[in-house]
Amino acid sequence: MRESKVMFLQYMTGLLILVFGSFHVLLISFLAPTPDKILYQYANIAGGHTLIGGTLFYSTVKAVYSNLLWGSFFELLLTFLIYHIFNGFRIILSEQFPGSKSEKVITYSMLIIGLIIYIYGSRTIVLMLTGGGL
Amino acid sequence: MTIDNKKGWISWFNPIKYGSDRWMYSLHRLTGIALGLYLIAHVFETSNILKGPLTWNNVMIFLDYPFGVHFGPEILSLILIAAVYHALNGIRLTITENGLMLPKPYRPEYPYKPRSLKGLNNFLKILLGIFMIIISVFGIIYIFTGWLP
Repeated sequence: MRESKVMFLQYMTGLLILVFGSFHVLLISFLAPTPDKILYQYANIAGGHTLIGGTLFYSTVKAVYSNLLWGSFFELLLTFLIYHIFNGFRIILSEQFPGSKSEKVITYSMLIIGLIIYIYGSRTIVLMLTGGGL
Repeated sequence: MTIDNKKGWISWFNPIKYGSDRWMYSLHRLTGIALGLYLIAHVFETSNILKGPLTWNNVMIFLDYPFGVHFGPEILSLILIAAVYHALNGIRLTITENGLMLPKPYRPEYPYKPRSLKGLNNFLKILLGIFMIIISVFGIIYIFTGWLP
């Protein structure tokens, strides 16, 4: 792909991450499916912390993950993020180690590492959508 | 053709003769690297949801109380500030680097200061600062207290 197209996609994915990322932040604050909308709710037990509620409590997170709409949303956000981040890493590394040979090594390394993390992240989303988790 | 990049990333921290644009460029890169590494960690951290409620809740407690110290909100606040800066500066770069809203062509005159770095660019920098303060303050208050406007 031509560098101008790669960079155009870098700008576009950046803007899409801004939109989708904002919803991701809203999901754990204003849109949180809990009555008090706090992140952590602990039980008052001496000598340790026991999570009993909050936006990050297991059943709340599982309910969000199991929702097809939020699941698809996470998958799209992950796609945009992986492209934006690993292309960003590629740009930084290519500038640090210039040359056609090193650029090829950097490009393919970023592609492979990016794909591995993308598959791993997608695995969580798909498994949760298909009734995964205990 | 191989071109030596002798200074490399160290030159990011040389603002002499470059001014605020250089600092913003360096910060954009640093926050980008930090957020990129955070996303990779976030993907692995959230995969713990598949291991059931006990593991998940313990991971969440560990993230709020890493090694027994209540340091989670501070870490989350730093991530928020980095994300807000990177996002707002990203909008500024999308506008200015793509030549959108450039000034009218003009005759280059000594001392040849580029107008593209003044005017709209400066206005966007001020807007960035204002929005960054507002979003970060409300975000940090929410992280520490759970208060929403």
